[in-house]
Amino acid sequence: MQKKFKLVIVITAILFVVMALFVFVRIKLLRHKVFVKKTKEGRYHLVVEGKPYFIKGVCYNPAPIGEGYDYDLGQDKCQPWLIDGKMMSEAGVNTIRLYKSSDNHNGLKKAIGDFYEKYGIRTALGHWLGFWEYPQPFYADPEFRERIKKEVLGMVKTYKDEKGILFWILGNENNYSFSGRVNPWVCPEADKAEVSEQANIRAKIYYSFVNEIACEIHKIDPNHPVVLGNGELGYLDVANKFCPDIDIVGILIYRGKTFGNIFNGLKSIFDKPLLLVEFGADSYNSFKKQEDQEMQSFFLEAQWKEIYKNSGFAKDGAGNCLGGFIFEWSDEWWKHNSDNSLNWEIHDTEAGWSQGAYYFDNKAEKNLNMNEEWFGIVGVSEEKESEVNKRLPRKAYYMLKKMWENSSSK
Amino acid sequence: MKKIMLLGLCLFLLPVWINAEEVKKEEVKVFGVYSNKRSPDNHYIPSGWMGDYGDIKINDEFSANPHSGANCIQFVYSAKKSNNQGWAGVYWQNPANNWGAKSGGFDLSGMTKLTFWARGAKGGEVIDKVIVGGIKGVYPDSDEIGMGPIVLTKEWQQYTVNLAEKNLSFISGGFGWVMNADSNAEGAEFYLDDIKYEADASIKPEVKGAEKMPFYVYLDRGSVSNHYIPSGWMGDYGDIKLDVGSLEDPYMGNTCIKTAYSGKGAQGARWAGIYWQNPANNWGEKPGGYDLSNAAKLTFWARGGKGGERIEEFKTGGLFGEYSDSDTASIGPVILTKDWKEYTIDLKGKDFSSIIGGFCWATNVDVNPEGATFYLDEIRYE
Repeated sequence: MQKKFKLVIVITAILFVVMALFVFVRIKLLRHKVFVKKTKEGRYHLVVEGKPYFIKGVCYNPAPIGEGYDYDLGQDKCQPWLIDGKMMSEAGVNTIRLYKSSDNHNGLKKAIGDFYEKYGIRTALGHWLGFWEYPQPFYADPEFRERIKKEVLGMVKTYKDEKGILFWILGNENNYSFSGRVNPWVCPEADKAEVSEQANIRAKIYYSFVNEIACEIHKIDPNHPVVLGNGELGYLDVANKFCPDIDIVGILIYRGKTFGNIFNGLKSIFDKPLLLVEFGADSYNSFKKQEDQEMQSFFLEAQWKEIYKNSGFAKDGAGNCLGGFIFEWSDEWWKHNSDNSLNWEIHDTEAGWSQGAYYFDNKAEKNLNMNEEWFGIVGVSEEKESEVNKRLPRKAYYMLKKMWENSSSK
Repeated sequence: MKKIMLLGLCLFLLPVWINAEEVKKEEVKVFGVYSNKRSPDNHYIPSGWMGDYGDIKINDEFSANPHSGANCIQFVYSAKKSNNQGWAGVYWQNPANNWGAKSGGFDLSGMTKLTFWARGAKGGEVIDKVIVGGIKGVYPDSDEIGMGPIVLTKEWQQYTVNLAEKNLSFISGGFGWVMNADSNAEGAEFYLDDIKYEADASIKPEVKGAEKMPFYVYLDRGSVSNHYIPSGWMGDYGDIKLDVGSLEDPYMGNTCIKTAYSGKGAQGARWAGIYWQNPANNWGEKPGGYDLSNAAKLTFWARGGKGGERIEEFKTGGLFGEYSDSDTASIGPVILTKDWKEYTIDLKGKDFSSIIGGFCWATNVDVNPEGATFYLDEIRYE
């Protein structure tokens, strides 16, 4: 009888230890898992290391003066992230967005690692999904799809175990190609359909493709969410049907001081958490023809307040916004007339496009008021420090620093 | 004895009561714009003639049937479009002809309403809008308040512009009216009298709620139900000919909108379009528009001149500026048929609480190499 009793105690103890071990391992695993949580009130949070994480991010492509669209961070021997990471960290930036991987995986891993280990800054890594390839992307072509899918999954396999990785961003305004006005692509199914249906057919094909990739990513890497990078809310009603497996909708939007109804708008067509993967304001006043740091700071402050107001941390608002990535950390001098490499050493003041919502300078000639080379919250100088163009923080940098210091969502 | 004392007390208090009444009367402050010809109460001058000013005649001592006093102001608007504008109006300014280049005007803080009396010669004359303030320039008015449209009757009627809690600290444009040739195709003769500001404490700020449905962008030429103006011409605007009173087989009513787009590329843009705006020419740089929160959809009827014309986009909202539209929605591309067909823009889940750009179309020469003639009718929110 006593023997039996002892056996029961031993078995119970073993079971207890196994269960404790299981719980411990699970907690440990969960701590490494980045995921989206929906509260019972319907508000969204990104959870990182078991805590809600509000993305105070910047888009990062620190092309030095004189370099162009083929700049590759992983191959940059000057390691600008060591300077930028420190400044970002001081301002409260907690995440960077990289648009693409690198030909030098080890170099990029080093950058991602340094950002995380030295400054606590995580990385969102993206893929264009072939959007800027020539000839134009053929999302209806099986061979093209297979090649792009292989590239993306290769990127995921390569970087998924880097501690600093936060999530993957697929595409960047690729939906603007559905109407055929930007990067049009051949699609026999759409071409033979009614004109009014052609864009929706392209949308269905593209979003199905993204969904296919998202499912594969989840199999390879269950620890990091997948973000769809979309231009405004265009065609997301189609994505709702054909891209249900993405975790977060990433929006690129330039609408001046307010994002309008996008937060509630997304809820009504595709109830996923919203992340502003690209937004911002330039610091060059095309009307006055001079740098205007006040103007940039004014718009960024208004935009950021609206992001916070609609986040899961706020009491009211839509509650679906996970944060945002300001476009961008530093000026890129190659962006205007990007095909002309002679221009890459000149800080162009000519505006490339028009957006009336940035109303301080939209009375400029032909209403052209958006200056691609002036979006940085830090400017860059031809003078160098540690072989890196000297960083010149703008008013917006200090405004954000102050705002983020006081933020309750650190 | 008590009765005598009570009577004495009443006699003692009577002057106090009378005086209080006088004070009460004095508290109702009035500031005149126009009362009678050469009245010292006239503080502004009807000097700011706008639009087709050649179509306007004024008689500021019209003596037949004034509302009060010896005379009133008679306006005759011929609607001949002498300056090709299709509209005309008059501002009462201080000093005369001050479009904001000079200091002047008055501090009217404390005034809560502007009232005026008006009648039409026949009845049915349409004033698009009456305006208080709104002069721009180096010395801009501190606010702009509008009211309208007003359909005049043959009898004198008093109209009120609510000014409660408006910033009237500097007003050089004391009063103005605007009318257009579409709403008054045969011209208009009308009369104004006793235009004045009043400090009436009982006036509360106007609460502008959501508009009732259906809400028309376009019903018929000159209809007072029309709420937006096709003033936002875009791209190759020189390629567009617009007739908002076309008699060519309207879908409903007397008229429809005929648009002829030549596709010649007058401005080199290779595309063109028109926004219906409120107020006219507002690209989002000033307040305006309507609260269309009650709208679930925008519907309109369209047909092509030949059939096969392609409109890239029909849109509502989407104007961005200091006063951006609260949302946007669109359909397109649309291939028009020769027969009238109804189209719908779904507004479910949208925030249409503030819409300056009430309707828009845009197309281009690539999809209409020979241009396009098309017709629109019954554009309305439901």
